[in-house]
Amino acid sequence: MDSNLIYLLLFFVAQLHLPLHAEGDTRSLESVPDLERSMYMIVDGYPCVRLLNLSGEIGCSNPGREKVVAPIVRFKNVNVLAQSSAVLVSLDEIQSFFTRLSNDSKFAKNVAGVLIESGSESQMKLKGFSPVEKFPQAEFAPYRSIHYEWNPIGSSIMWKSYNFPIFLLSQSGTMTLQEVASKNENNKKSYTADVAEFDLVMQTTKSGTHDSESCLKEGTCLPLGGYRGSVWSSLPPINVSSDQSKPVILTVASMDSASFFRDKSFGADSPISGLISLMAAVDALSHLDGFNDLSKQLVFLVFTGEAWGYLGSRRFLLELDLHSEFVKGIDSTLIEMVVEIGSVGKVFNEGVKTFFAHVAGVSSVANETLNALQQAKDSLKSENIMISTANSSNPGIPPSSLMSFLRKNSSTSGIVLEDFDATFANQFYQSHLDDLSNVNSSAIVAAASLVARTLYILASDDKDLSSSALSAINVNASLVEALLGCLLTCDPGLSCELVKNYIAPRTNCPSNYVGVLLEEPSATPYPGYVSDVSRFIWNFLADRTSISKENSASACPKDCRNEGEACIGAELDGKGVCVISTTRYVPAYSTRLMVDESGMWKVMGLKSSDSMEDPVWTESNWDALGLRVYTVQNGAYDRLVLLGGLAVTLLAYLAILVSRAFIIKVLKQD
Amino acid sequence: MTVIAGIGYALIALGPSLSLFVSVVSKKPFLILTVLSSTLLWLISLIVLSGVWRAFLPLKTTAWWPYAILIIMSIAFQEGLRLLFWKAYKYVEGRLEDILDAFADKVSKPRLFLTDKMQIALAGGLGHGVAHAVFFCLSLLTPAFGRATFFVDRCSQLPFFLISALIALAFVTIHTFSMVIAFNGYAEGNKVDQIFVPVVHMVAGMVTLINLASGGCVIGIPLLYFLAMLTLMHCGKMVWRRLTETRSRQSGS
Repeated sequence: MDSNLIYLLLFFVAQLHLPLHAEGDTRSLESVPDLERSMYMIVDGYPCVRLLNLSGEIGCSNPGREKVVAPIVRFKNVNVLAQSSAVLVSLDEIQSFFTRLSNDSKFAKNVAGVLIESGSESQMKLKGFSPVEKFPQAEFAPYRSIHYEWNPIGSSIMWKSYNFPIFLLSQSGTMTLQEVASKNENNKKSYTADVAEFDLVMQTTKSGTHDSESCLKEGTCLPLGGYRGSVWSSLPPINVSSDQSKPVILTVASMDSASFFRDKSFGADSPISGLISLMAAVDALSHLDGFNDLSKQLVFLVFTGEAWGYLGSRRFLLELDLHSEFVKGIDSTLIEMVVEIGSVGKVFNEGVKTFFAHVAGVSSVANETLNALQQAKDSLKSENIMISTANSSNPGIPPSSLMSFLRKNSSTSGIVLEDFDATFANQFYQSHLDDLSNVNSSAIVAAASLVARTLYILASDDKDLSSSALSAINVNASLVEALLGCLLTCDPGLSCELVKNYIAPRTNCPSNYVGVLLEEPSATPYPGYVSDVSRFIWNFLADRTSISKENSASACPKDCRNEGEACIGAELDGKGVCVISTTRYVPAYSTRLMVDESGMWKVMGLKSSDSMEDPVWTESNWDALGLRVYTVQNGAYDRLVLLGGLAVTLLAYLAILVSRAFIIKVLKQD
Repeated sequence: MTVIAGIGYALIALGPSLSLFVSVVSKKPFLILTVLSSTLLWLISLIVLSGVWRAFLPLKTTAWWPYAILIIMSIAFQEGLRLLFWKAYKYVEGRLEDILDAFADKVSKPRLFLTDKMQIALAGGLGHGVAHAVFFCLSLLTPAFGRATFFVDRCSQLPFFLISALIALAFVTIHTFSMVIAFNGYAEGNKVDQIFVPVVHMVAGMVTLINLASGGCVIGIPLLYFLAMLTLMHCGKMVWRRLTETRSRQSGS
């Protein structure tokens, strides 16, 4: 009988025609942690976080304290959501998805989480996408037509509150999720599904504080702002001891953008193109001499926090009123003119670069500036540049920092230089898609040239400025290219040479989101709390507007404490250079916030001088934000397995009892 | 997969062993000691083997024969150890009888009945089986208690942990009853039994190589259970034969 069984076994083995070599799957797991890592796939993504203001909240959050787990479905393949799902949305479907979400409450109830793809093909199909309002920050406008549509493509989806997590996937994450979604659709096994696990637990949701005042009191959120955020620099450096009576021309740009996704907001056209123009203009002017002989003082000002209630400009104006140390050297009564460089990256119109000057204050000063602009343009004959005044049917200036100046003092003269006339040229205003591909470097070079020459004309106040003097002012196009690479890409990003010459950057990818205030503003900032971009701009401007000291470069920052001195490159171990420069940081945070005795942020009452209520933007605290994808068995299968295990155990027990009884019977038979 | 499934997998692999322990072993302290020391011994053997092979791992190869060498060598080592285990058992058995003789009046019947000896062998085999299950299945089971499940490309019909538990159950059965057959074979000098055990062990080890092929587990796992059944039946036959022999010898004397 045994031999028969052996023959049977051999027969079986002989039937095997299978190739007995291991198949190509090269993924070898060498330990249990390896196994766990391959079970749970971590996906790269950019989250949308919970932001609060005085009247409520916007943004996204997990609905409770737990992670959200839901099977992945593709938006284009579902009509009705049968169960709570994580919806995978491609770029060109974003608009229709959010429209469906707001109109169809049954659909919205089953949306547990949203994953938005990135990708260059779908990006090209998309004509435009802007998650902010059609008139961004209309409540700060110095005129009444707040229903004018500067941003007609704006969909306001960023300004709603969502009680589920939304993540933007990176390129690799998109590919992973597309595979997983296909796997789910083709899955023949009914008892498994691939799910996404979202970790977007927000402390304000956990503690039930749903507006800024309550969350600041509980300590579950932090106010938005740049700690040492805004930067200003004077050309030439101000001699504080001498009397300051030269009128001041303020050149303004901003460095922060906003987007639906906290960590992906390059803000290339709006506003970084303006920032880069300002920096290139300062660089061009720095090669000239004789600024002390000019009749006006040039001050360059870069604000942060402008996307969130004009935090930078409004706080700056408040500090000016308070004559605080941050603005020592600027007398607000001496400010004659404000020139703001807005979005200047998209000026092409059939080969001609057309800039638009939006004027505020119909006065002789404004006309003088316009004339200077025309004169500068004329001197740049070869560049094919056109300057036009904005259409008079516009209600006023577009959303810009100049609005804060005008709200404070409606007789301020100012000009905003933009690449658009009646509506934004930027089709991706304040979205994650406003990246390097959305701007043109030659446009920025042109804007910088215009601004540099215009400022020189204005500052010298000389009607018969020779063309040779102007033609000496040239913008370095390779500097503009370098700045584009440093501020608008992740490679090289902030580890580019230009930045590394001044600071030791903490990250590679510049995130132009204003961030939160971790500490109260005080005299000596902890460098860890100042953003990389702010520090870079400070060092850059200080370097360009500086006069070197008589005794050559002394060790910095030890020997650089005198009034009017600045240490450039203080972070670079012993390579700091001490120069004479007036470059200062100005804090940027809400004008209605202060720190009380116990160190907590407090919202102050409305002062009579405040002409409008500041929204006091805050961001919820959070622990860790992440996204994972894995396969899950349904509960029924788990119970089946348990049942199987119990059955096997019990059957074995019964078999043993039967055998034992049998053996005893056999033994007793005698 | 959650805790429920994790417990389920653990029960599939070790449930029958648990039943055996509760119903047979737990009644006699000597058997409990035997199971524990056997488990320890076979666990150490597996650790020694993995220590020796550590230098060659991971086997970055797509061919199957390096795995075959690994298995052949390991099984040969274990079978050698089984012989040593038998020798150790004989030594203890001899000493035990001496001690019992010294303390009691002369009695005519032997101290250890045949069924006692078989139970000791069963406990030894149980220890071997439990060591295999712990080493090859339980040690991987921690992730099974979490939320996710796992499917291997080459055998995507069943979750990985279920496959692991099923294979472990087959081997537990093979090892447990092989020890009974082997001890009987050494005691009687029965060549068939003595060869049967290493051969079945080696064949079972090589059969697992079938799982390396894509979809191979559909054939590999049933084959393993076939071998387990074979072992069970052979053991049953042998026990029946020995018990009836003893009975007829007793009634004949």
